[in-house]
Amino acid sequence: MKGSVAGHLILKDWQLYRMPIALSIVGGVMSLAIFQWGGGWEGTMVVGSVWFYVALILVGTMLPLVGIVNERKKQNLAFVMSLPISPIQYTTSKLVSTVGMFLVPWLTLTISGLMLVEARGIVPRGSIPMMLILDAMPFVGLCIITGVALVGESEGWGIAANVFCNSSYGLVWYFLSRVPALMVNTKGPVPVWNSTVLSVLSAEFGSIVLILGLTFYLQSRKRDFI
Amino acid sequence: MTDLAIELSGVGKTYPFFSLDNIDLKVPEGQIMGLIGPNGAGKSTTIRILMGLVHQDRGEVRVLGHHMPAEQVAAKWDIGFASEDMRLYESMTLGWHMSFIQSIYSSWDAAYAQLLLKRFGLRAEQKIKGLSHGQRVKATLLLVFARRPKLLILDEPTTGLDPVARHEILRELTNVMADEGRSILFSSHNTQDVEQISDQITFIDRGRIIDSMDKETYLDRWRRVRLEVPFGIDLPALPGIIGIRRDGRLAVATANEFVPGLANAYESAGARIQCIESMTLEEIFVANVEHSREEVEA
Amino acid sequence: MNGAFAISQSDKRPMYLQIMEQIKQRIAVGDWSEGQSIPSIRQLAVDLQVSVITVKRAYLELEREGIIVTQQGKGSHVASTSGLGARLREQELEQHLVQATRIAAMLGLRPRELEHRLREAGDRVAEKETI
Repeated sequence: MKGSVAGHLILKDWQLYRMPIALSIVGGVMSLAIFQWGGGWEGTMVVGSVWFYVALILVGTMLPLVGIVNERKKQNLAFVMSLPISPIQYTTSKLVSTVGMFLVPWLTLTISGLMLVEARGIVPRGSIPMMLILDAMPFVGLCIITGVALVGESEGWGIAANVFCNSSYGLVWYFLSRVPALMVNTKGPVPVWNSTVLSVLSAEFGSIVLILGLTFYLQSRKRDFI
Repeated sequence: MTDLAIELSGVGKTYPFFSLDNIDLKVPEGQIMGLIGPNGAGKSTTIRILMGLVHQDRGEVRVLGHHMPAEQVAAKWDIGFASEDMRLYESMTLGWHMSFIQSIYSSWDAAYAQLLLKRFGLRAEQKIKGLSHGQRVKATLLLVFARRPKLLILDEPTTGLDPVARHEILRELTNVMADEGRSILFSSHNTQDVEQISDQITFIDRGRIIDSMDKETYLDRWRRVRLEVPFGIDLPALPGIIGIRRDGRLAVATANEFVPGLANAYESAGARIQCIESMTLEEIFVANVEHSREEVEA
Repeated sequence: MNGAFAISQSDKRPMYLQIMEQIKQRIAVGDWSEGQSIPSIRQLAVDLQVSVITVKRAYLELEREGIIVTQQGKGSHVASTSGLGARLREQELEQHLVQATRIAAMLGLRPRELEHRLREAGDRVAEKETI
């Protein structure tokens, strides 16, 4: 035996999907550039920030839809399952590779964005907590779509999850921006980590863990894998 | 007593509109079993259960000594699987797939793989999406053959292939036979292939096994008896005859449990035997299915 | 060695019989001599692209007829009974003669005419061989 099969599958996913990941990083960086060096106009700042999130949302959608739904639809799944792995090992490798591949652009762009705010100061540093809260949303979305794609098995489910998430971002943002405890310090010079901010952040990361765990559990209960 | 490469005991699986029942199947090591049956008979379901991809509702499954689906990982190290509804990654090359498989299995024989590329007329640099259907099938089978697995489980390996490609695949399948430790189970609509290379034949229809036995015995049991029957003579019902068709003075009786002398009773009844012919597996297939369906309806 | 073997699926006779006949022919013609070892069951099966069980059956029947001998662990060989080749040729001739008689009867030929035709055929063969 040469190394774990699940490991080879993760590597395989990297080879298959590295183009889109690279593109999303490029897209995200470009949007940051627009944001930062667009002359400080509100217009370019909005455009830049929107594209930033679009880049993250797009890669967060594409990875599970192509990597999971398509793999099943294009009948590659039978090929993968003919290898010496169990359904649970498959699920694990898929979760690791999908979330892992998402983390590459996500961490890159999040950290770049934070560094920009720290260094350049066009945007007040008080907005950093809200930035992070917003930033985590595509991550949660990715987990939802990934979980649904794995458990739901069909393209229909994947698309439904995708639509649900995309339409939710705006709504969630709307409600969060109405919470005074979150918005009160955004224009300030210092990031304030009050309890509301921390609760929202832990809710987001908590739901990531919950969704992934639930996915794992539901997959392990399946009796017909293909 | 040779080991069993495959052993199914009392296996069953229930779906809303279809159920597999009472499947008992044994494939000793070193043998080739051909699985035949109409579409929807349950061949693919049985094969998926063998691979641990579907969990049976009843019964026990052992493949290469491993319980399935619990020990499917251990089993799959030594199984080469290819099914008709399996596809390779379109955007990648055949060479990439070969490296991928090679990185996982230490039994990969690189020299044999190159030989197969030549025999099958394939090139490693080609992307899968650029291949014709027949080439894709051959590519998938190349990935299986080059690993030299102990057990090959193939669902319709020659379906949709042109005669030359079919011949190439049959040649590699029979090359597997040279090693008496290796076994094959394959399902096919191509009764000629099954008849030619199978040691054992299993017949499935509507989720049940109709027949399962060694090929030579099986072919020996089936005969077509052509008779000349004068008007007014009734032909007796004989054990081992599953059907008689009359057309004027001619009649054809199909026997599925033929023994020499079986047809003599017809002559005693006044008919004349024109000849007793053996049947091809295809003719047996059709007769079998029609007969079992008549029985169900009766 | 097995290039000239041909198993035909369109031939109505069972495969094992075809194999038996072709083995007998080789012995009759002298390609395989008495005592000579012949391919193992499995090897012949691979060469002919035919199931092992079919070749096994052919070998069993041939052994029953005393034409080949299979020894556990040592493979198979043509029986070393002297005159085996000749005996098989006799059998073949007998079969052809019976066949010729039957067809002649269907054509309505009398035994005299059949004899005459046989002599004519013999002359033709002799001619071809001198050319």
